[in-house]
Amino acid sequence: MDASVPSRHIALTVNGRPVDALIEPRELLLDFLRDRLGLIGAKRSCDVQVCGACTVLLDGQAVSACCTLAYEARGRQVTTIEGLGADGRLHPLQEAFAEHAAVQCGFCTPGMILTAATLLQEVSSPTAAQVAAHLRGTLCRCTGYWKIIEAVVDAGRRGQEAGA
Amino acid sequence: MLRPFEVHEPSTVAEASRLLGHHGEDAAVYAGGTELIPVMRDGLASYRHLVNLKAVPALDRITGEGDMVRVGALATHRTIERSPVVGARAPVLAQVAAGVANLRVRNVGTLGGNLCFAEPHSDPAVLLIAQNASILLARDGGERRVNAEAFFEGILRTVRRHDEILVWVDVPALPPHSGAAYARFALHERPTAGVAVAVTLDGGAVSSVRIAVGSVGPMPARVPEAEEALVGCGTDARALRQAAARTGQTVEVLGDLYGSEDYKRHIVTVLAAKALDQAVARAARPTGPEH
Amino acid sequence: MRAGADRRPGHDSPPAVTGPVPTVVGTAMRRVDAVEKVTGAARFTGDLVVPGMLHGRVLRSPSPHARIARLDVTAATGLAGVRAVLTGADLLGGGFAGTDPYYGHAIKDRPIVAIDRVRFAGEPVAAVAADDPATANEALLAIQVEYEDLPAVTTVQAALAAGAPRLHEGPLRPGLFHGLGELRREEGNICYHYQFARGGLDEAFATADVFVEGEYTFPAVYQYAMEPHTVIAQWGADGLTIWACCQHPYLVRAELAEMFGLPLSGVRVIVPYIGGGFGSKSYTKMEPITAALARKAGRPVRIVNRIDEAMVTTRRHNMTCSMRTAATRDGRVVARQCRIRLDTGAYADNGPRVAATAGDAAPGPYRWQAVDVDAWAIYTNTPPAGSYRGFGATHLQWIGESQIDALARKVGQDPLTFRQRNLLRPGEDVRPGGKPLDADLVGDVTKVAAAIGWGAPKPPLVGRGVGVGLLAAGAHPVSTAAIRLQADGTAVLLVSTSELGQGARTVFTQIVAEELALPPDRVRVMGADTQFTPYDRSTGASRSTTLAGKAVQHAAADLRDQLIAIAGSTWGLPHASLGVRDGAVWHETERLSYPDLMHKHFGMAGGELIGRGEVRPQRGTGSYAEGPVFWEVCVGGAEVELDPETGQIRVRRLASVADVGKAINPQLVEAQDEGACLQGLGNALFEEMLFENGHVVNGSLLEYRVPTTADLPDEYRSILVENADGPGPYGAKGVGEGALAAVPAAIVNALADLGVEMRELPLTPERVWRRVRELGLQHPSWEG
Repeated sequence: MDASVPSRHIALTVNGRPVDALIEPRELLLDFLRDRLGLIGAKRSCDVQVCGACTVLLDGQAVSACCTLAYEARGRQVTTIEGLGADGRLHPLQEAFAEHAAVQCGFCTPGMILTAATLLQEVSSPTAAQVAAHLRGTLCRCTGYWKIIEAVVDAGRRGQEAGA
Repeated sequence: MLRPFEVHEPSTVAEASRLLGHHGEDAAVYAGGTELIPVMRDGLASYRHLVNLKAVPALDRITGEGDMVRVGALATHRTIERSPVVGARAPVLAQVAAGVANLRVRNVGTLGGNLCFAEPHSDPAVLLIAQNASILLARDGGERRVNAEAFFEGILRTVRRHDEILVWVDVPALPPHSGAAYARFALHERPTAGVAVAVTLDGGAVSSVRIAVGSVGPMPARVPEAEEALVGCGTDARALRQAAARTGQTVEVLGDLYGSEDYKRHIVTVLAAKALDQAVARAARPTGPEH
Repeated sequence: MRAGADRRPGHDSPPAVTGPVPTVVGTAMRRVDAVEKVTGAARFTGDLVVPGMLHGRVLRSPSPHARIARLDVTAATGLAGVRAVLTGADLLGGGFAGTDPYYGHAIKDRPIVAIDRVRFAGEPVAAVAADDPATANEALLAIQVEYEDLPAVTTVQAALAAGAPRLHEGPLRPGLFHGLGELRREEGNICYHYQFARGGLDEAFATADVFVEGEYTFPAVYQYAMEPHTVIAQWGADGLTIWACCQHPYLVRAELAEMFGLPLSGVRVIVPYIGGGFGSKSYTKMEPITAALARKAGRPVRIVNRIDEAMVTTRRHNMTCSMRTAATRDGRVVARQCRIRLDTGAYADNGPRVAATAGDAAPGPYRWQAVDVDAWAIYTNTPPAGSYRGFGATHLQWIGESQIDALARKVGQDPLTFRQRNLLRPGEDVRPGGKPLDADLVGDVTKVAAAIGWGAPKPPLVGRGVGVGLLAAGAHPVSTAAIRLQADGTAVLLVSTSELGQGARTVFTQIVAEELALPPDRVRVMGADTQFTPYDRSTGASRSTTLAGKAVQHAAADLRDQLIAIAGSTWGLPHASLGVRDGAVWHETERLSYPDLMHKHFGMAGGELIGRGEVRPQRGTGSYAEGPVFWEVCVGGAEVELDPETGQIRVRRLASVADVGKAINPQLVEAQDEGACLQGLGNALFEEMLFENGHVVNGSLLEYRVPTTADLPDEYRSILVENADGPGPYGAKGVGEGALAAVPAAIVNALADLGVEMRELPLTPERVWRRVRELGLQHPSWEG
């Protein structure tokens, strides 16, 4: 910690749980989540907000944690991949990614699933074209995207059938 | 790596301006941070004081004022994209906002931040210039309006004084028998070229037109030579092609890794033709919303 | 039911399927690591924390070629929280006595950090270890360096010019793992020269009627594994421990042991999940510098590359090539001559092997009277180039295949028919002394052509093309595996294949489950840890299912034999009358479960049985020349639409062939093929590293374009071909690289179908637009 710049206290909610912390203003949200809270699902890759590997949700909106100050999360809800399932069960997207082999190396996967989740919040059963458009700014180097799109379409369809 | 800084939370524009004035070059406006944070992290700029404009209430509002839409500086690209007010009064702006960067940047990045950072490879300013938008700059002790087309001075440079805050952007309604359009070409994350057109017809002729080009030169700019050549002409294909060609020929272009000069000129011509066609078609529609 | 057989580990036995149809092998079983990865629980090297770990950063040269005139780290060392600064001087000093500061698996030409001289912009000059990343960054800024620029040769042309400065001199120090026979110091800046000639070229050309000739350019490409290179090094009383995203832990172990004067057992390499490899993490990369820094610091150190650092750690070779091909007027290929110049950057890395495979890929799988190929890897003052998925084949296939298409057009034949006539058949020699062709290429290309609508009427501005080639796969065939059967009947598989995302752990689970008749969830696969998992040469060259998988299969068979032997002696029955099913050994209706068998064997509910499997060269030494283990099929087809106004290409249909002998997990085969297709598409359409005086100018993802969902073709098919013609388990052979070579070839040919012949990749809109104008092409709809 740099003693010459006062640190700040922030209170936020992470995956439904309250968190209190003393941060330096310059602390990045990605490092705060990974190094301070041990939530290592969000990854550092491109560092220029292009790839989406660092994606977390801030009040339900996808942001690049690598370029977001932890300060911005004060008083807000942060959702990481670790907060997606409930009661030890997989979220339908997680289930679908596993089912459709939409995961290979897994490095993009947390960001990809969270981004897909924001689509399902708005369009409960999207078409492949809608999924492709929504995931356009989230990169995967391993899969070629086809199985990812299949998985999201399937998760949406099942969610709709279940009346979710 | 970010070096240490303080974040200030002014509650008014005047206070924000005073902070900027007081700390001088050590301070920067902090809004969405999508441009600022990477630049600071890469050591290309260093500020010990960030003035968090998001602490000032209501700078993100989007309101309809008569036919005009007033977009608060802190409106994000996402809220602009989805705003019913923008959709009704300046729908092409919504289309442009929807195409900025990627959805994460759109969730957080602001119009004001985008304009003030003045990254040449960018879309929103181009349309705002074509639609004759004006910008309000305020500082402690005064404010001034600047037309969008006079706001940019060069690569990453605008006329904004260090202690001025961009407060809102006014986008006037298009007059009757007008249409606007934006066409862009992008291979990378940022666009290679963008052309915006706003045209007004009188009978079958062009009574006024504004053509703006962005991303190919140091800053977005109108192309008066192409505009002048089109005023008074008909809207037949030949006239529009000529205006498009004129646009590509006369616009200021810098070759870079997005494209060589001649290719960029060519793409501008292609985009101008598209945008002119679309704008004219929209202008020629019988009365109703200008889409 | 699997029948017993007398089989020793490593014995070259026929596939184990003697009984009913496999029940686990051949199914789309869910990945064993899927849940970990979708929940974010999977740990990559950057997610690990070792107690006392310091954060390392690397200071990199801004100059492409310079003498280090002065290097002063006093200020950096004095900063609070900085625990160590490593420079080249350290490596020559007392603290590193007995250390050989040079490494390189082909040629040991690379110092851990620059010693007196830097040879590329980005070369490590110093490394710092500090309590936290911010302090490490401050320390970098506090290091004072003065460089005396030397003349830099940043292109192959400059490097080969008379009077060019030499990047490497003195006796060549061969590395341990090139498999290319004896390496010699070449002239000037030539790193390696590979050549061969078969038949008489001039005589063959004299019999030909049509010729095609051209000069071609291929870009430097960045692998962009989304996880950047990450290494943790820790020294202890028993030696060095490394955690790294390392494709070849055993080769890295050997290099580190040799460098630091340790026995092999004194170096431990642990490999967590890897966030993409694609060759960028093959052989030795950031491990030596991290180990040296940790040694200086006396504490564990973690170094993580940023993406711009990863780009100057390894890349694909850029290349120029001249090629001339001839055929007879009735459509028979006659001869091909090819000269290849690969820019291997400042250090050899895998340059020699890339040159060799490029040379071998140049002819293509055709029936030639004569071929004459020269391939050079050349040193330049640019970041070092190394492996990237499909190397060699990706470099050459688009060139050779475009000349095949051009010849077909010259003799008035359909390019598909032309190929069907000239392609080699299974069993024919691809190159003398090596493995004959083991794939049905004619069948493959015919299928792919059908998938893109070959022969059907084409809309305007739409073209179709195919590409056929081979990739020498398998690397060196040495793999071992062990399975520990526990007292409760669960099996722990020990194998050192790295899980890069390809699904190796899942495929191996399926093999073990199949061979031991166990439910897959009773099989556990550990990640690579050289202390516990036995030797596997490498993960790459599409070899894991084929070779490591074969070792796994042997290990399971060995274990099965042991179980059957125990049952046999318990029942007093011959082994041939016994078999395994449902976790037990059976004789007709009698069964003994594995736990019961082990209880009998050990006299208690404890003990374990260990099965061992080994794969090694079946004849000769497994060298490059004697191989390959199998020929990976690189066959693809593309239908594209050209926008002549902008030069943009839209891929309408894409098809590739996954010719795998036997798909142990068809879903994962398809997944690999799909991913390879899109990387191939990127390489073809827009991926290129741009250099200015040896500096990468597009060193971020903002300006280095990789494929997104927006680039997906409208239609895509991965065609699975299973002819049981591979040397791996159940007749399997590898997949995952072919499409990188085939897709650029198919797209180039699809454009050529429209009359737009391209000689330079990538096919950016600007390049294509310029070419269309150069060719003066006119088309009724091409107005404006």
